[in-house]
Amino acid sequence: MSAALKGLRRTLRISGAFLSTSPKVFMAYSIWFWMEIIVTVFSMVIFLYFWRAIYASSGQATLSGLSLNQTLNYIILARVIGPALENRMIFNFGYYIREGLIAIEMLRPVDFQFRNYIEMLGLMFMSLLTKVPLILIAVLFFGLQLPTSAAAWAAFVIAMLLGHAVLFLFDWLYACLAFYSTETWGLGVVREAVALLFSGGLLPLVMLPGWLQAIASGLPFAQGLYVPIALLSGILPPEAAPRLWLVQLAWIAGLLLASRLLFSVSVRKVTVQGG
Amino acid sequence: MLRYARLYWLFLIQRLKILMEYRLNFFIGAFSFLAMQSVGLVGVWAIMRQVPSLNGWSFNELLFIYGLITLAKSMNHMFADNLWTLGQSYIRTGGFDRFMVRPINPLFHLLADRFCHDGIGELVVGGVLVGYTSRALGIPWTLANFLYLLLAVLTGSVIFVALNLFTATSAFWIVESVPVTLVVFNTHEFAYYPLTMYHRFIQVAMTWLIPYGFASFYPASYLLGREVGVMAWVGTLVAGVLLLLAYQVWKFGLQHYSSTGS
Amino acid sequence: MHAIQTENLTKIFTVNQKDPGLRGAVKALFRPSRKQVLAVDRVSLSVEPGEIVGYIGVNGAGKSTTIKMLTGVLMPTSGSVRVLGRDPHRQRVANAREIGVVFGQRTQLWWDLALIESLNLIAGIYDIPPKRYRELLERFSEMLELKELLKTPIRNMSLGQKMRSELAAALIHEPKVLFLDEPTIGLDLIVKERIRQFIREHNQQYGTTVILTTHDLGDIEELCQRVMIIDKGGMIYDGPLATIRQRFGRERTLTFEVHPRHLGDLRQHAERMQLPQGARVEAQNGGSSGGRLVVRFDRTLTSASQVAASLMGQVEVVDFSLSEPDLASIVRQIYGGALENGNGKEGKV
Ligand SMILES: Nc1ncnc2c1ncn2[C@@H]1O[C@H](COP(=O)(O)OP(=O)(O)OP(=O)(O)O)[C@@H](O)[C@H]1O
Ligand SMILES: [Mg+2]
Repeated sequence: MSAALKGLRRTLRISGAFLSTSPKVFMAYSIWFWMEIIVTVFSMVIFLYFWRAIYASSGQATLSGLSLNQTLNYIILARVIGPALENRMIFNFGYYIREGLIAIEMLRPVDFQFRNYIEMLGLMFMSLLTKVPLILIAVLFFGLQLPTSAAAWAAFVIAMLLGHAVLFLFDWLYACLAFYSTETWGLGVVREAVALLFSGGLLPLVMLPGWLQAIASGLPFAQGLYVPIALLSGILPPEAAPRLWLVQLAWIAGLLLASRLLFSVSVRKVTVQGG
Repeated sequence: MLRYARLYWLFLIQRLKILMEYRLNFFIGAFSFLAMQSVGLVGVWAIMRQVPSLNGWSFNELLFIYGLITLAKSMNHMFADNLWTLGQSYIRTGGFDRFMVRPINPLFHLLADRFCHDGIGELVVGGVLVGYTSRALGIPWTLANFLYLLLAVLTGSVIFVALNLFTATSAFWIVESVPVTLVVFNTHEFAYYPLTMYHRFIQVAMTWLIPYGFASFYPASYLLGREVGVMAWVGTLVAGVLLLLAYQVWKFGLQHYSSTGS
Repeated sequence: MHAIQTENLTKIFTVNQKDPGLRGAVKALFRPSRKQVLAVDRVSLSVEPGEIVGYIGVNGAGKSTTIKMLTGVLMPTSGSVRVLGRDPHRQRVANAREIGVVFGQRTQLWWDLALIESLNLIAGIYDIPPKRYRELLERFSEMLELKELLKTPIRNMSLGQKMRSELAAALIHEPKVLFLDEPTIGLDLIVKERIRQFIREHNQQYGTTVILTTHDLGDIEELCQRVMIIDKGGMIYDGPLATIRQRFGRERTLTFEVHPRHLGDLRQHAERMQLPQGARVEAQNGGSSGGRLVVRFDRTLTSASQVAASLMGQVEVVDFSLSEPDLASIVRQIYGGALENGNGKEGKV
């Protein structure tokens, strides 16, 4: 236990160092930073006009029970915050396995999965930090409304943390495929395409036809993106949060078990074969 | 001209030989493109299913616009993708030197050096979309319409290539030109939808400044029998002028090429 | 007509500088600070058809930059260049047909293609008549022993194999002028020898003019009668190789490891040392495993064995080694001397 704590402290220190150097990195790559801002602003403009036209053409005030403002709120937030949740665990695994690093990684005193989780959590916070200017722009120019009640924020933050864990564990499970196939690139692409639709990254899930919604609820992606963003954008009221957290926790429990099991079986296969 | 055509063929054959070695990559690349595109289209379909039209454009008409611009984009992707890598792979490494010591146009050499097969997936998607929707929408495939379609795709491709040439040339000064290229390139997403849905300012910009409108909206309107008047034909002229300007800027950039210090 | 002629050829690079730290990064965003680097400074030279000229200088002296201006890669900042009577940058295409270039540090071939396919492409680029191409291919693969390599992709070749391929690729269109920028860098003696021989034969057979830069004195000694030395961008010597060799190639260095027991009084030893005429102790220093004495001597006045024998009589020697003077040190010596004559002109040092 104390070893784990020490490891945790080290990990935090490393991410701390990372945090403090990142403004420099960030500035050095400032051209990339501006690029991302401009490109995202462009797509906000497109969404804005697209949805306005859609609502105008529909002749109704709401679509699937959502007003124009709710929909725009949701789309903008999903588009800005969504990328912060990305982790390319399967590419990492592919790299570790190709270079024969898995065995070495496993020798370290801190649990491998836990260490990676902390790292990914740090990355998510970093990435969220870089989104702040975009959120400001959206509030100022695109009519983005953020919740004013503490309850809504709390509901969002907790759902976001839980959702991140769900996605992390799912991706861990999925990444274990790298032990059985070298086509990590193709596998990664499949995951991204499926997630784009079923996480609610494109449009609020309630707008999908029933059968697609059914599929979405059977997949973990919505837990990571749709649930927290729906809470933040006001599509779902804070009162709905506790039930959603429970569902997320259930996902976490199941995925934790499954991912650890599959991982240990897969690692044994590699170490036996001397990969 | 003939000489360059023959040379391109030589380059292409060699490139295809290399690609055959990485066949699997080709299929994964095509598949990944297909997957992302279809997911995006499913999204649009899910929305359009709830409304009669978007500013008077049906779902099929939107797909037709989308197919047209995808065809133009695929040409750019197949034949001019190396503009993206100019800074990273040729200028930073000094590899551009070898283009400068050979008796052919360096721009031609750059483009011919890497035919990009990823664009084939786009070509197929665009072709299928245009083919399917034109039947569903009852666009008659007369010879005139067919020739117009070819001209429209050519015009669109030239617009893509010219704009990328403008931005890629900045690599001669700043090396890392990809972010700049990306910003301008990404504006083509405005042209996935009928321009009439935007504010007047955006319509003008997408017509005269970053004229991606001529790659999708105007030719689609013409073929669908919507009134766009002379705008159905100006695009080709605009594209030609744009390419000429871009090439002058490129030639200016070439004089600033400073190689690398080793 | 000269094969190559330049007058006051000058190249100034402008480089962006970034101060370290966050402040520097921010500053660079708004007001990037620029620095001018004078890489080539008023170089005037002329080379006659059929000559092989060695172009040497320490790292960063400006050799590659000169070559790049001669081949049309870079536009000169000022001054004029003529290669076979043409301006290599303005008349780039016409010039490119007549010259061949090898940059030893990077390949001109296609990384993923088999050598024969790269050569086929080059034949297409230079419009070589098919019959002539086959003849030359035959000849080159004979002379450079490329037969077994023709089907090998460049990425799978060793350094030496790659360099032989580069040479074939640079000469297959029968250029009148050949530029070689460090063609033997990193190669072993046998490959170096073969490449030198090939260049020599090619020069004799076709009368190709060759300019070659190198850090290997061997290349110069075996190939060139004439040497140009550049330092800090300026030409400091242009003349026969023989002159350099006589004046600066005479010094050799012997390094002795002496027994640790001399360690305490190494300095006295060094000062009291009796050595043959023309030899002197250059440096001495102590270390945990023993001391070291560096002795320099003039080869025309004494010999290595005389120096070694004399020194071994005075201290106990554990080990010793002999080194040839490297080009860099010769160039430095010449640079020191040449300053007296201003911009050392033809044949003078
Ligand atoms: N593309 C460039 N941009 C900026 N500075 C450059 C560039 N190329 C060369 N330099 C600078 O010009 C000077 C001359 O460089 P050059 O490469 O010509 O030297 P060289 O004699 O070929 O050296 P080496 O023996 O190391 O190859 C150096 O100070 C180098 O840093
Ligand atoms: Mg050099």
